[in-house]
Amino acid sequence: MFKRYELHNHTTESDAGITCRQLTEHMIADGVDVFAITDHNTVSGQPIIRKLLAEENLPIRCLYGMEYTTYYGHIVCPVLEQYVPWDSINRKKPELLFRACKEAGAVTGVAHPFSYGDPFARGCRFEMEITDFTDVDYIEIVNNPEPLHEVNEPGILWWEKLVLSGVKVSACAGMDLHGLNDMSMCFATYIEGTADGDPAEELRAALAVQRTWVSKGMLVLWEGTEDGIRFTLHDAKKPGFVPSDRYVLTLKAKNWTKEYDITSGSVTIPYDEIRFEDAVPKLYGGDPILENLICVAPVIRTKA
Amino acid sequence: MNELYRVEGTLSRGFVGQITYTVCLEEPLQKLDIHFTFDQDKRKYRPEEVTDELIRDTKALCLKNYDLTVDDDRARDIILGDMKTEIHTLATVNDEFLGCVHKQLTDRHMLWDGENASEGCIPRPVFDGVLKVTVLVFNVIKDGTGYVLTVSGE
Repeated sequence: MFKRYELHNHTTESDAGITCRQLTEHMIADGVDVFAITDHNTVSGQPIIRKLLAEENLPIRCLYGMEYTTYYGHIVCPVLEQYVPWDSINRKKPELLFRACKEAGAVTGVAHPFSYGDPFARGCRFEMEITDFTDVDYIEIVNNPEPLHEVNEPGILWWEKLVLSGVKVSACAGMDLHGLNDMSMCFATYIEGTADGDPAEELRAALAVQRTWVSKGMLVLWEGTEDGIRFTLHDAKKPGFVPSDRYVLTLKAKNWTKEYDITSGSVTIPYDEIRFEDAVPKLYGGDPILENLICVAPVIRTKA
Repeated sequence: MNELYRVEGTLSRGFVGQITYTVCLEEPLQKLDIHFTFDQDKRKYRPEEVTDELIRDTKALCLKNYDLTVDDDRARDIILGDMKTEIHTLATVNDEFLGCVHKQLTDRHMLWDGENASEGCIPRPVFDGVLKVTVLVFNVIKDGTGYVLTVSGE
């Protein structure tokens, strides 16, 4: 089964306008399977939600994390149960903080890397220089409230460039929720899991092999068959998702992009047509332009 | 509560970083109040403070950082609407995280009172040992931004 994760959310424990209870109830109302509490630089909301879920037996699972809000960018950790100090943050060596977080059992992601920072909101843009992605689990390629072209597009392009160069880093999305915003037609993160699976362990397992989908509600799946790579559509039943009359699949490799009509629900691409090593599959509702983007699927690594 | 520590300081424009104050608690406390304020008047620019030089610098910054060309009116909007001094506070005791207040406030309390604590802080029954209060300075837009930090306990 596919599970919907909302990995980036705030409460009144930092700068949001919603309490821990309101956040939890908002997530339940929207059918979210797993949500994370990721307040800015504090873990104080964690025990509040733990208590709430334990006492009221609510139908949702929570990840307990935090968003490092530094002078040089934000690092969102949807799992961070032990506070790790960041006072030695080094703009030119952020790997030290990523490593320290991972050693404490965290899941780490670069949040909204291309947000506007100074002079608009100092610290919001990720200005740290990562040279080693070993301890970076994912890049938040879509931060839903941010402008599509100015902020999210460069995030998607950065991630594509990295993965098509062989870097193993996953893609995720975040609501960056600070209020009771409508989540329909927003991008969420989907991973495979089981009904009773541990949400943190399943997330870690998905990130370890870069099996994450960033989607508005329709997923594109792929598998190797005798005839080629078969792509199929899978409706994740996300509330508010508006189906399209036409679906286009694109495969983006290092030096080219190909398009395929997948309106019928599936398409098989023969192996002899696939002259690439790695490619990023993306699904569009109509012409393949950013406004129509519906899903970014896990990278196809044909060598693997 | 009794005031245990008080410090005043001044920040210059452009400072980014943190200042940590260490307080060795003489005896265990059951209540703690960390109060931080900085100049309300220095948090934002007033219209009469927007100079040609500031507009020119802002336009240059937008172009350099974002390849964004803005005219004088837009630059003025950014200066008055977006630019701000932003300072937060974080506390630990014996290097254990107590809390951080990340709200856009010029006057804030981090208060622990038995089972309750301010938003951003983790309730705790007793404070004993070495208290560290860190002033996290994200941005200072005006020279001479004064601040006052007090630690009180009971």
